[in-house]
Amino acid sequence: MEAIEAIMGRRSIRRYTDKKIPEETITKLLKAAMNAPSAHNKQPWHFIVVDDRETMLKIPEYHQYSKMLENASHAIVVLGDNNIQTSDFWVHDTSAATENILIAAHAMGLGAVWLGIHPHESLIEGTKKLFDIPDHVTPLCIISLGYPDENRSPCENYNPERVHKNKW
Amino acid sequence: MDAMKAILGRRSIRKFTGENIPDKDIKKLLEAAMAAPSACNQQPWHFVVAKGKKTHEKVMEIQPYTRMLENASVAVFVCADPDLQTCPGFWVQDVSAATENLLLAVTAMGYGATWCGLYPNDDIVWKIKELLDLPKQVVPLNVIAIGVPDEEKPPSERYNEERVHYEKW
Repeated sequence: MEAIEAIMGRRSIRRYTDKKIPEETITKLLKAAMNAPSAHNKQPWHFIVVDDRETMLKIPEYHQYSKMLENASHAIVVLGDNNIQTSDFWVHDTSAATENILIAAHAMGLGAVWLGIHPHESLIEGTKKLFDIPDHVTPLCIISLGYPDENRSPCENYNPERVHKNKW
Repeated sequence: MDAMKAILGRRSIRKFTGENIPDKDIKKLLEAAMAAPSACNQQPWHFVVAKGKKTHEKVMEIQPYTRMLENASVAVFVCADPDLQTCPGFWVQDVSAATENLLLAVTAMGYGATWCGLYPNDDIVWKIKELLDLPKQVVPLNVIAIGVPDEEKPPSERYNEERVHYEKW
């Protein structure tokens, strides 16, 4: 898919078919993620790839907006390593990596949705406990992935009132 | 350009020819930025587009890491108005995703860019706010130097298997 089309056409997809995503496609998503820019090129990210249904079903127990994981093929937990990026730039870095996954997913015919974790303490704690995440690592978000079972047209978000020339 | 090629080929470009970028292309970049996802679809972003050399010079004085602005065609300050949030706490992520969309669109359209972080460096944030007359609550997350590339960089191989965990950490 053409890049601008992928960027403009990406939507949050919460309904999926039963089809599993092949492993090599998951690897492509992770390659896309790791090519994101990061402050001082520190690349402070980690990813947990989840396709075990039981684990995925445990997420909605502490995250109320994650019910679509019941039908997802995979979940990817995106994490920041606070030993590698000691400042708050890790949030910028891992957000850019997450967006790369979402665009790559759409370009490859997958559907995905970004489920926020950080900075909500209860969601961070729930995720750290479920996945045995060490102290120096913080989960940013969970991405739910699958083959789309819904069709969403590109949205028109451009708002000229948000553009300022030279000064506010 | 193919989407995967744009994602895997995007590099920080710091050398520019100084050629102008037409306004219609800048609009396309901002459309891409505003197509980003945001928590509760709150879209807390604002963009200040500066083509003026005087602004570029002042930014280079405030933040020396932005020296590539010297030959850049345009500087886009990606900002957030946290008061626009309906799901508080997520504006940094929302605006970072918008920034990445902008960088991918830059690459796809044959331009080059570098993301220069501003927030959370308080001193630099305040100076930029003053320079751009930003309202009190508005925060500049970064400034993106964009131009016509005067350097070629091959895609970098950043994939690192050690950063991938399966099922648990």
